[in-house]
Amino acid sequence: MGSSVKSSSPFTTHVLNTGDGVPAVRMALSLHRLDPRTAIWNLITIGNTDEDGRCPGLITSDAFTPGMYKVRFETAQYWESLGLSSFYPYVEIVFSVSDADQSCHVPLLVSRYSFSTYRGS
Amino acid sequence: MNRLQHIRCHMLAYKNMNIATTLPSPLTTHVLNTAKGVPGANMTISLHRLNPISSEWYLLTTGITNDDGRCPGLITKESFIAGVYKIRFETGKYWDALGETCFYPYVEVIFTISDPSQKYHVPLLLSRFSFSTYKGS
Repeated sequence: MGSSVKSSSPFTTHVLNTGDGVPAVRMALSLHRLDPRTAIWNLITIGNTDEDGRCPGLITSDAFTPGMYKVRFETAQYWESLGLSSFYPYVEIVFSVSDADQSCHVPLLVSRYSFSTYRGS
Repeated sequence: MNRLQHIRCHMLAYKNMNIATTLPSPLTTHVLNTAKGVPGANMTISLHRLNPISSEWYLLTTGITNDDGRCPGLITKESFIAGVYKIRFETGKYWDALGETCFYPYVEVIFTISDPSQKYHVPLLLSRFSFSTYKGS
């Protein structure tokens, strides 16, 4: 489901473990789009971050239409795999895409007790 | 405004919100508009608790941040039990009221309260294209 696309996904993410100063490797995440008619979130892709904290091939250009999206990061699961607790069971970032021709980068900088994100390129 | 007047204002706010409490909420938030370097005032927020059996979110409180970006009286000590909570910040509406767009229609911060005898502070530092939060005190 979107893990081996040749052209790069117009939507990308990058997860950094700011507690340890390393990429967050093997964090499960999922991308969803809101159906405005039903107000239901539709799952587009699930994946895991690679050794660099990235997850290529999240969505194709064709599928990346304007709308409301969310990316959910399984942060607690990640910290648990490192034997640590954290404040957040998961992180969801909900964002609006108005111009789907532009590439959209939504990174997550996460520690056990904080997180931040920004719209990158 | 001196400190006594400040406290009196908070007490009146509690009355108006029908929250019969004289103790500060064990859970607080603070919204900062990092783009303008000012508190995030007049932002609608809501506090919810997850029902672990039904997996549904139960709305506990709605409020609007004051001029200092804070929203006193979010929850009483009695209601503050261990569990999973979320604060939803109406960021899209906030920026819309300032005549600007925002990348985030809303921000939800979901967090786990393991020890409700402690105080928890969940601030939001926000611009049109970024936000951050941390577990404070």
